[in-house]
Amino acid sequence: MSGQTARGDSRPVDPRTSRPIGPMAQPGYYRGFSTLSQQKFWDAKTREVILDRVNNVPQIRFFTPEQASLLEAICDRVLPQDDRDAAHRIPIVPQIDKRLYENSHDGYRYEDMPPDRDAFRFGLRGIEEIARHLYATGFLEIGLLEQDEILRSLHDGNPAAAHEIWSQMAVQRFWLLLVSDCADAYYSHPWAWDEIGFGGPAYPRAYMRLERGEAEPWESNEKRYDWRAPDSSLSDAYEPVAGQAEHLGSPGQGGTH
Amino acid sequence: MLGAIQRIEMPIRRFPEGEEVDYVIVGVGAGGGVLLQRLARAGFRVIGFDAGPFWDTERDWVSDEKGAHNLYWNDLRITAGQHPLAFGANNSGKGIGGGTVHWASFTPRLHPSDFRIHSEDGVGVDWPITYSELKPYYELLERELPVSGPSSYPWGDPHGYPYGPHPMGGVGNTLIRGCTKLGIGVSAGGPVAILEGSRGDRPHCIYRGFCIQGCKVGAKASTLITHVPDALENGAEIRPDCMVSRVHLGQNRRVTGVTYFDGEGRERFQKAKAVIVAGYSIETPRLLLNSACPEFENGLANSSDCVGRYLMAQAGNVVMGRFDELVRMYKAPPAHALTEEFYETDAQRGFARGFAIQTVGPLPISFAKQMMTAKGAWGWGLRSVMMDYNHWSAFGFLGELLPHAENRVQLAGEKDHFGIPIAKVTFNLYDNDKKLIEYGKNKTMEVMWAAGATEVVQETRYAHLVGAARMGDNPETSVVDEFGRTHDISNLFICDGSIMPTQGSANPGLTIMALAARIADYLITQGDEIFTSEKRNSEKPAIRRNLSPPDTWGHGMPAL
Repeated sequence: MSGQTARGDSRPVDPRTSRPIGPMAQPGYYRGFSTLSQQKFWDAKTREVILDRVNNVPQIRFFTPEQASLLEAICDRVLPQDDRDAAHRIPIVPQIDKRLYENSHDGYRYEDMPPDRDAFRFGLRGIEEIARHLYATGFLEIGLLEQDEILRSLHDGNPAAAHEIWSQMAVQRFWLLLVSDCADAYYSHPWAWDEIGFGGPAYPRAYMRLERGEAEPWESNEKRYDWRAPDSSLSDAYEPVAGQAEHLGSPGQGGTH
Repeated sequence: MLGAIQRIEMPIRRFPEGEEVDYVIVGVGAGGGVLLQRLARAGFRVIGFDAGPFWDTERDWVSDEKGAHNLYWNDLRITAGQHPLAFGANNSGKGIGGGTVHWASFTPRLHPSDFRIHSEDGVGVDWPITYSELKPYYELLERELPVSGPSSYPWGDPHGYPYGPHPMGGVGNTLIRGCTKLGIGVSAGGPVAILEGSRGDRPHCIYRGFCIQGCKVGAKASTLITHVPDALENGAEIRPDCMVSRVHLGQNRRVTGVTYFDGEGRERFQKAKAVIVAGYSIETPRLLLNSACPEFENGLANSSDCVGRYLMAQAGNVVMGRFDELVRMYKAPPAHALTEEFYETDAQRGFARGFAIQTVGPLPISFAKQMMTAKGAWGWGLRSVMMDYNHWSAFGFLGELLPHAENRVQLAGEKDHFGIPIAKVTFNLYDNDKKLIEYGKNKTMEVMWAAGATEVVQETRYAHLVGAARMGDNPETSVVDEFGRTHDISNLFICDGSIMPTQGSANPGLTIMALAARIADYLITQGDEIFTSEKRNSEKPAIRRNLSPPDTWGHGMPAL
């Protein structure tokens, strides 16, 4: 364990008081807003699909228990939820596991990538190898900052070890696949919609206030608070995915026009 | 008022096993759907095959981004090249209605110049037809869908729209503000194939913003609700969940029918006097390449070696701007305002052809991934920018990329679960394309800044597909003639976006439908000649205005 920081507080910080924020049931600027509270205004099929997502978290069937715990630690950094209390964390690994177990994908695979199942197996091995190379211990054992260092090296296309793995797949494509899968799981959950003030399903009731960002009578107005990422994190800096970004395409993105 | 607003009856007709029909259409999307409806109305015995389901819109579709996954063509494709394309939700539908189920439904026409870019600009290739030959079909389809938009649309061939423009959402207001500041004309409220007032059994738009997840309301046009019901009423059969694997060549260089896998995975054969492939720019060439036979070793109807080549995507960069005030871009249809001010070639810009700027309205998952690529966001940075989701607006830049022979669809080594070789798609940008994207991206960002954004970022992306079985007069450099008839085989046709030789900066859906209506007029005029004769009559057909679905023609004819 050479040169590691203490794990430290993983919660975001109020910049005025320097005190950690949360954990709380509902982070974000729309406190009290609940899309699920509107479910009686949704159509039956939509309600069924969304309630199933909330109430029936899939069992782990694709990953081994070891792979699942490693991925859990990775997803905790790729999409951190330390400001959420334990009862309101959005399950991410079970959704990734379900997709891979069902071998579901977005309809295409880059020529320089293995199938998604292998990409995740390789990627997990690669991340673990980097941790062992740099810190002589596993990813689960190292500090939060060190974990972020490793993940940022994938983002930068500059991993410190496991080169035989990254020679089998484009490291930044794996990174985008991983972040995409986390985003899919998190932002498909109604608690995340509440967090960001997205109104969610509106059929058959409709939206009637289309302009000036006005809230529907059942939506909430924004109530902002200041926060910054914890000192134990590197992920609050915005650095474009390095190098050949133009050639990376837009993985998994739905059509917009 | 919960419950089904609209219901489409499932098809009841079923042609007897082993019976030869007049036409088999492979793919019931934008092109196949319109063609099926017209051939049925004209009395032909016709079957429309589709690899996906016959949607029950109330029971199958959801107001949910992730839950809409099954609307798209998610069977595996390999994507390659320096600028590999995304497929699936980005540009490919599966099921009755095809891509029109999940299009945002912007429906601009091509401009007259689009049909002759080689003559005018020395790039790409001219079409075998002119704008004026397609114009009456644009007018027909704009009423059949129908299209909402301004009564006076200034670009290309100026025209008006039969249904009134939609009210603005937050993104449209951003576009209007930015364009107005810069003195750029902008079209507010269309053209978009979404009902702004109810018509027949279709209610008007409710502005819920889930257009590309499938319109449960029935306000957004798709051939599933605009043309398929009339096709069924007029005796067409639809075979959903049937994957066509091969078009068969018989005696005298004539096709005899198709092999397909039915919903239970059984391999079957359907006899037909003529076959029309309407599977769009990836599946159409894939099917022809997979139908290679001793007479056509490199793929059916591919003596030109053009099947799969000249594939095009449009440049589709998404430009996102953050505003101090709230926008809430999830409300209103993603498609509701645009400008074509930069559509035509301007020599001073240093490249040929141009682009459009359109509203888009990414929902949270899409927006998160856009922030991932545009800003490199992850971790707390992603959480933070997503908490500002309601402060962001987004424009789609839509730019014309030129046709190149090496941008192509081939067969990969891998096979799908039926054992059919899958498609491998190679895509590269060329010099004009790169210059156009650079200029257009910057101009779109400039508009976003002018609208008052405090931060502007963009994501490189490609939208729509056309080409890969292009039409032309020369059999050595094109696959089909102006009527979609393959040069090689007189009873094999193609009727989808793959026949477009170039693409302009217009969303291709309306043009694909207009071409399908024109092909239908040709087939109907030719009658049984198609089934019995090798003679190729190249006489242009008269337009038939009596083939529209009921109560469409004659509605809303704005004066200019």
